[in-house]
Amino acid sequence: MTSANQEPAKVVFNGISKSFGRKGESLRVLEDINLEVQDGEFICLLGPSGCGKSTLLNIVAGFEESDAGSVTIDGEIVAGPNPQRVFVFQEYGIFPWASVWDNVALGLRHLSEQERAKIVEATISMVGLSGFEAAYPMELSGGMKQRVEVARALAVSPDVIYMDEPFGALDSLTRLGMRAEIVRIWQQEKKTILFVTHDVDESIQLADRIVVLTERPGRIADIVEVGLEHPRDLGSGEYGAIKNRLYDLLGVAHTI
Amino acid sequence: MTWVFIAMIVLAAAGVKLQDSLRDSLRPLVAPLCVAMIGVGLWGLAVIWTGSRVFPGPLQTCLGLAELIESERLWGDIIASLFRVTWGFFLAASVGIPLGLVVGWNMRVFTAMNPIIQGLRPISPIAWIPIAILWFGIGDGAGIFLIFLSAFFPIAVGTTAAVRNISLVHQRSAENFGLAGLELFRRVVFPAAMPQIITSLRIALGVAWLVIVAAEMVGMDSGLGYLINDARNAGSRYDLVVATMVVIGMIGIVLDLLIRQLERFDEVRWGYEKR
Ligand SMILES: Nc1ncnc2c1ncn2[C@@H]1O[C@H](COP(=O)(O)OP(=O)(O)O)[C@@H](O)[C@H]1O
Ligand SMILES: [Mg+2]
Repeated sequence: MTSANQEPAKVVFNGISKSFGRKGESLRVLEDINLEVQDGEFICLLGPSGCGKSTLLNIVAGFEESDAGSVTIDGEIVAGPNPQRVFVFQEYGIFPWASVWDNVALGLRHLSEQERAKIVEATISMVGLSGFEAAYPMELSGGMKQRVEVARALAVSPDVIYMDEPFGALDSLTRLGMRAEIVRIWQQEKKTILFVTHDVDESIQLADRIVVLTERPGRIADIVEVGLEHPRDLGSGEYGAIKNRLYDLLGVAHTI
Repeated sequence: MTWVFIAMIVLAAAGVKLQDSLRDSLRPLVAPLCVAMIGVGLWGLAVIWTGSRVFPGPLQTCLGLAELIESERLWGDIIASLFRVTWGFFLAASVGIPLGLVVGWNMRVFTAMNPIIQGLRPISPIAWIPIAILWFGIGDGAGIFLIFLSAFFPIAVGTTAAVRNISLVHQRSAENFGLAGLELFRRVVFPAAMPQIITSLRIALGVAWLVIVAAEMVGMDSGLGYLINDARNAGSRYDLVVATMVVIGMIGIVLDLLIRQLERFDEVRWGYEKR
């Protein structure tokens, strides 16, 4: 994949491979993943369940090590997690023992009280949770919890945001709302986003480019440019064409 | 008298049957009360029918309780027992919680310490009584030491398990936002483990209350356990023995109610609701 962009890529995957040892056997999960992500790009990693999407994202985020290959961000090899690159988990990574306010303030410990308050307030309002600052996650719906987690990530102004099926546990209506929200925030903040999903529609609604992974062991089947303006018309012909193309790549019939 | 107890049982049985017609708010109160009444009735009948001269019935026990309450002794013994339990328990918590946090978090420390803790844990605190007396003599010191031992293991082991149960996403969140050292403990490890720590405190306090009575029966000259022994030795006053047992039970309930208040804080409620 060559990009028309002349700038050096923000995130580069260099031949990432990974196996897990299980009961003496080795399970090949990822094979030779190469990818260049531009600064400010919204990338979806799309693939069937169990193909290694989470493993790949965890390696890129520095939570797990690859067997071969490396990841560089701004030319530096990733050796571990970093507050400049925040991970949004599917299963609620926010802390249930802390209020919404304290959760969002987590990454701002080095700032003065005043600065911190300003950022926390602005971020909470950006994700539409004003008025819930004192609430505990237990008192919030799934969608609101995920907003808190997004706010916690945005508060530190990260360069890159990793999202691993962040809306997977939400009902379909909330999920649609959250997608619109994340696109709005992305357009406003210009972050680089790596978003894992197994949902074809989700990837077309969100991404600039969709990286389609094969069944395990995960390899890149192809990279699909979406090239539609936001807000996207889910009924348009282009949308349907991309959808068909993705289904073909995933090896799934698009008529039932 | 026989008829009084029979009437009690019949009445209570009727109460159990009738409770459906009661308001919802009363039901959780009425049912246990009826069951208790049936138990007391059966107890009274059993004492009458077996013709026991030593074993007290409900009425003698109530009179014994009144006698105890009037005597200055009871309060002194209650305070003696509570004093030992309080100090032993606080010492155990202040050593057990930090130790459990470190052992649970640090794999190396865990590998080194866990076998020793697991090896000492199954030794009943009662078995330590001779050593406690040898080291501390008859008195509060030995009691506090024994309560420390009884409470320490549930707290340390419970805290260790709590830390090892911290979910991976929370560990990774902490790592992602650069938390380390004391801050990591204060903001993540400790609060994440807190609900389970409170549960282990509850268990530990229960065990402590069990052990103090036994310890006082064997190796001390005050406290509720000693009171039981004394009542038996001083002329087989089994009415006072059973009355003291009732007091022990009630204080146990109050202690548990008190420590359960910890579960109501906003910072830990997440650990108990929805399981
Ligand atoms: N820590 C691990 N140990 C062993 N096997 C693992 C581990 N993590 C993931 N796997 C296996 O690797 C495969 C890919 O997992 P994952 O990356 O979670 O897939 P996805 O996110 O695409 O559903 C699965 O078959 C899973 O069972
Ligand atoms: Mg996954």
